[in-house]
Amino acid sequence: MASVTYLLSEFRDKEAVASAIDSLRASGVSTADLDVFSEEPIELPRGVLDRPSRMSLVSVLGAIVMGTTATAFVWWAQNNYALVTGGMPVYSFWGTGVITYEMTMLGAVLATFGYFLWESGLVRKRDKTAPVPVVPPECICLRVRTAADVARPTALLRAAGAISVEKKAPL
Amino acid sequence: MFATTKQPELLPYGKIREDLFCPLSGMTRKYFAAILIPLLIILFGAYAWTVQLRYGMGVTGLQRPVFWGFYIVDFVFWIGISHAGTLISAILRLTDAGWRKPITRAAEAITLFALMIGGMFPIIHLGRAWYFYWLIPYPNMRLLWPNFRSPLLWDLTAIVTYVTGSAIYLYLPLIPDMAQLAEHNVPWRRKLYRALSLGWTGSDTEWHALERAMKLMAGIILAVAISVHTVVAWDFAMAIAPMWHSTIFGPYFVVGAIFSGLAGLMIVMAAIRKFMGLEQYLTRHHFDNLAKLLLLMSILWLYFTLAEHVTVWYGNDPADMAVFGARTRSRFAVLFWGMVVVNFVIPFILLGIRKLRNIATGVIASFGILIGMFLERYIIVVPTLSVTRLPAASSNFYMPTWVELGITAATFAGMIFLYLIFSKLFPIIAVWEFKPHPHEDEI
Repeated sequence: MASVTYLLSEFRDKEAVASAIDSLRASGVSTADLDVFSEEPIELPRGVLDRPSRMSLVSVLGAIVMGTTATAFVWWAQNNYALVTGGMPVYSFWGTGVITYEMTMLGAVLATFGYFLWESGLVRKRDKTAPVPVVPPECICLRVRTAADVARPTALLRAAGAISVEKKAPL
Repeated sequence: MFATTKQPELLPYGKIREDLFCPLSGMTRKYFAAILIPLLIILFGAYAWTVQLRYGMGVTGLQRPVFWGFYIVDFVFWIGISHAGTLISAILRLTDAGWRKPITRAAEAITLFALMIGGMFPIIHLGRAWYFYWLIPYPNMRLLWPNFRSPLLWDLTAIVTYVTGSAIYLYLPLIPDMAQLAEHNVPWRRKLYRALSLGWTGSDTEWHALERAMKLMAGIILAVAISVHTVVAWDFAMAIAPMWHSTIFGPYFVVGAIFSGLAGLMIVMAAIRKFMGLEQYLTRHHFDNLAKLLLLMSILWLYFTLAEHVTVWYGNDPADMAVFGARTRSRFAVLFWGMVVVNFVIPFILLGIRKLRNIATGVIASFGILIGMFLERYIIVVPTLSVTRLPAASSNFYMPTWVELGITAATFAGMIFLYLIFSKLFPIIAVWEFKPHPHEDEI
């Protein structure tokens, strides 16, 4: 297995970063091997470094699961110890609708937060060997993970406008 | 009028960072004094509560037929204040309004603290507060379950959801700032920020996830906030009591909540601006926009108040009219008309006339609105219970005792205390959101 090397390059503007990413991808570098570091969110053009997400889906699923579970629990609890209701139904969906609604929303909140932690990689087991660049203010850093020779990606980064390119071994 | 200041969006990032991170370090005597006074009031409130716990609810002014008093007023008031964060942050985030940036965190913090304070009142009001866990559905020895049809349980679920959502909504945008704060700081702060920022590196994966989560959370929290105050309104509206059993109570309460929340935010913002020296960040432009929102809410509030009262008056139902009369013509008339003056007349003059509209008048109007909204809740809660409907029932004039007043004062002090602590631990303006964005100027 070829040894892995990291290239840490510094850019002044996002257009140069986008151009570097485009040329690196054209040369065969996978998007999984590219990471952009910045002190603020960088909006790159569509198709440059898209990070597809299932967060909305997970949020909806969390809402459905929690809402259904809460409703089922209320139904079970109301029937488990039936109160005297004077001929009214022991379980009333509308009478307990607020609980269903609030628990549905709580499910969405928790699922969104949980999936954020997962998707961002903050709680997931990350590659601890990858060097994390210290990004100076007003700068954008592009990290390239490469197993092949570094000369070509370095040249591409410089051609795209990188102000510095640093070669780093895994930690 | 305030002189035009340099647009904060165009300040260099180094200066923004310095200005917003600097107030976190160092403790001055003024700060200690500022924190000591509310702390003493909180201790007094805690003493008042222990007296209530020791001697029972008899130490309050609550007695037949008025069993809901200051505690319920406090509860509704603080839940209302909590809407500041939701409106400003969630709505403006969803609509991508650029001017919200220096305001959102201050507003989100208000939401969380106000909810924490407001959420205490159902427990204080229970009397035997140590049994509050009976509200939580768990398999107890007698196989009893709480009554899920009870509005008390609705409140519990609504507040738990709102507190959880608000805490996460406040925490998420704090992560990048805390990661920056962890770089250069005293050891204990470095440890704290490092732990709380969860190893944030600023990679595009993290930023994408954060932005997506914030957008989703803004939508969710908005729906939750509206539902929470609707549920609070339903605590009254579901009861078949005169001037409570109203179909417009949900939206009426939501409007009132946003109104008082905005007023609270205006005061907090002015205090932050003055005492933290953030004149370049919280500009006249921000206060002007807030004042306009406040004016809009004042008009909306008047519309709902009119709709509620004129409908009752025209219907002329005897039970409703008894309460209506008590509110507008007899016992509670001074409070009612005072409320109309501070909630509508004064804001309309101070904020509606362009020449008069500035930060100082905005703050004066906001203080008036907070008093007015407290009165509004009092006027909703107490007269309906004071005016009895059975011929033999004795009518009673409710007056809060020192215990209720002490606990109420402690909640205001608690808000100031929590805010002072928060502003010393975390930047009150989101630094990463505040960086210069040239593309916004082009729009």
